[in-house]
Amino acid sequence: MRTLKILLALALVLAATGASAQSKKPAAGSKYGTAGCGLGSLAFGNQPGGIQIIAATLNGTGIQTFGITTGTSNCEPGLLAQGTKNFVDANREVLAKDAARGEGEAVGALAVINQCKDLKGVGAALQRDYGTIFPSEKATNEEVTVQLLKTLHSDPSLGCGQG
Amino acid sequence: MRRTLAALALATFAAGARADAGAAAADGPRATAAYVDELLVRARIMGLAEDPAWLRLGRWRRKPTGWVSEVDGLRFFRSFRGKTDPLAELASTLRGFFEPDRGDEDVHVQCRFPARLQFLTERLGIDPARLPRPACPKLALFRDQTAARAVTLVFSAYYLNNPVSSFGHTFLRLDKAEEARPGKGAELLDSGIDYGAKPDTLNPILYAVKGLLGFFPGQFNRMAYYYKVRTYADAESRDLWEYDLAMTPDEVRLLVSHLWELGQTYFDYWYLDENCSYHVLGAIEAAVPRVTLLDHVGAVVIPADTVKALFLNPGFVRAVHYRPSIRVQFDARAGGLDAREARLVERLYADGSTPFPDDLPPDRRAAVLDAAVDLVDLRHFRDLAVDAAPQAARTRHLLLARRAELRVQSPELQIPIPEERRPDLGHGSLRAGAGAVESTRGGAFAELSFRFALHDLADPPDGYPLLSGIEFLQTRLRLRLSDGQPFVDELWVLRITSLNDFGRFDLRPSWRLRVGAAAVNDAGCDGCLVPKAEAGTGFAKTLGPLDLYAGADAGIDARAGLSGIDGKGIRFGIGPGGLARLRLGRLAILLADARWQWLPGAAPGETFELRGTLRVPLGRRVALSLEALRAPTVREGSLVLQAFY
Repeated sequence: MRTLKILLALALVLAATGASAQSKKPAAGSKYGTAGCGLGSLAFGNQPGGIQIIAATLNGTGIQTFGITTGTSNCEPGLLAQGTKNFVDANREVLAKDAARGEGEAVGALAVINQCKDLKGVGAALQRDYGTIFPSEKATNEEVTVQLLKTLHSDPSLGCGQG
Repeated sequence: MRRTLAALALATFAAGARADAGAAAADGPRATAAYVDELLVRARIMGLAEDPAWLRLGRWRRKPTGWVSEVDGLRFFRSFRGKTDPLAELASTLRGFFEPDRGDEDVHVQCRFPARLQFLTERLGIDPARLPRPACPKLALFRDQTAARAVTLVFSAYYLNNPVSSFGHTFLRLDKAEEARPGKGAELLDSGIDYGAKPDTLNPILYAVKGLLGFFPGQFNRMAYYYKVRTYADAESRDLWEYDLAMTPDEVRLLVSHLWELGQTYFDYWYLDENCSYHVLGAIEAAVPRVTLLDHVGAVVIPADTVKALFLNPGFVRAVHYRPSIRVQFDARAGGLDAREARLVERLYADGSTPFPDDLPPDRRAAVLDAAVDLVDLRHFRDLAVDAAPQAARTRHLLLARRAELRVQSPELQIPIPEERRPDLGHGSLRAGAGAVESTRGGAFAELSFRFALHDLADPPDGYPLLSGIEFLQTRLRLRLSDGQPFVDELWVLRITSLNDFGRFDLRPSWRLRVGAAAVNDAGCDGCLVPKAEAGTGFAKTLGPLDLYAGADAGIDARAGLSGIDGKGIRFGIGPGGLARLRLGRLAILLADARWQWLPGAAPGETFELRGTLRVPLGRRVALSLEALRAPTVREGSLVLQAFY
């Protein structure tokens, strides 16, 4: 078993250095949260070369914020405003896509977080207000969240909770 | 006299009543200790410390030296002997439950080991009125936030772009509802639980070696399920298979409690055996003593095997759900477009402001834009997430703004579930074979073959990625029948083939590599076993049941006695290579592999290899494999019976 493990370690290293990814410069001012809870935590892409591949393969997250007893609560899906912010932090791209389509899983999740009653209505409202919620690809998550909540609360027939 | 007697009687009664009240309301330390002793006696009589359910909670396994727990963090054990003594640990835990509550948050034994509390309370019939009731605010918060009503095991599919993530990955989802909810939106907010290594180095070599040899600590983590969906389905384009488990409310509660216990400690992370899938299964098994899971996985734990273990417990899997990756979603969208619309998608990907033809109706424009955005995501998701693709981000934004303006709601994407790709349906990960070979070099041979893991392109394709093969330790041993001389014909440490169906929207090349040792079949050292490392790249195309690959391979052979460059024992080869595979339903697979290599500076100056394989499955576990080889110095044919388990 020991020999097997050493052999495989060598083979892995060979394969990894052979198939190594391009190195990437760390992004300046990533629009995802600095708390380490945003999608940036997925990106071993800040580390150059073969480490990207191996890091992901060993399924290590290397992120303290996800420990079961040590995890920080600001990563929680949560409810309403804070929950919406956390959701936007991690799902911004997909949420934009679903909002533009007027339907989708991210829209559904948003409706659940905000305890809205009319799912279809929420989809239509986000699509209608898309330009205000996502005015440019450079809008921050905070700005997006504020506009999202405004849309959800602008129409009482959507039945979304406040708070 | 009567008054004295009455007073005496009253006093006696009062004293007696007070004593009773004292015993019931707040046990004096002596009474508590006596009760604990009584419970311990009961535990001993029941043999509770060696009960499989208790052993699973502490992860004790039988070793030649006795019991040893897999848990490596010593805080997991109250007793200093706890790691190797389940009874000492039981006794210490039991005593700890009855320690007075000192008001320190979550430090009390009941807060640290809620699963043990649940288990021991039930089995020993502990009177809850006699237990102190410490507040466990962090534990309570964990229970509230996870709000688990059901449990799902999730498998994220094989991913060959990471040489070792090619085995897939499993983790848990704690469901807030018992059934998958329509539209699935709410599932994103469930809690995902996984087990992973916490690396302390960024050096790739150290990282690989440490991960394989148990030098990283592994810990359980919790994150919203949407993180998992973003990581696997979107960033890595891996399908997710979700297996809903049939667990009672008590078992779900025990699992949540046990995860809390495990969350405070760590295991040494061994990539091969005590890996993500192993510990996820171990946690389930601890919460559900009636199922057997870890016994069904081998020495090397492959994620798909852990999924199969679920099915070996009848009724344990309630339902299976499929969550398509972004690539599958895109392919489904692109498949619904006509030629003109497909061209538009390409143009929109390059330039988000490409105008639509006037006669294209709004719903078709919506379909085209939906596909175009998925294409941007497919190619740039990771970069988009870290702001490393500003051009793509701008294109995406423009496409989405145009999409929103159409005010058309997209119809729900219908994607048929690819049942034959379900990981639990795959052939066994271990393969062994026995057969006969007839060769122009040496005559007749008996052959024994063995492969540790996992799958090659000629094996039955169900349950595995259609166009990939990955093999660890494929070995072929032969015995020459004329004189009983043994030979090693091949010993591949690692062999990977990753084909990609090249198309208008998928321009990724295919690649393959093999590292190990194989018999030389040319005059360079005819019949010698020579260490080899070879890699190749090219392009592949699937046409119905036919898969074709053409590319180039380059490799190195090195061995003393090899007639290599300038007569030295090393030679370098480069040249074209290709393969063709015909999939005849579930009846058979026909595979042909050809390589020709120029060997500069060596003698001979070139070599080639032509292999054909016809593999016919005979039932779920057995296959008959007919193989032929044509090379410069040898022609052989073999018939091998293979078994998978």
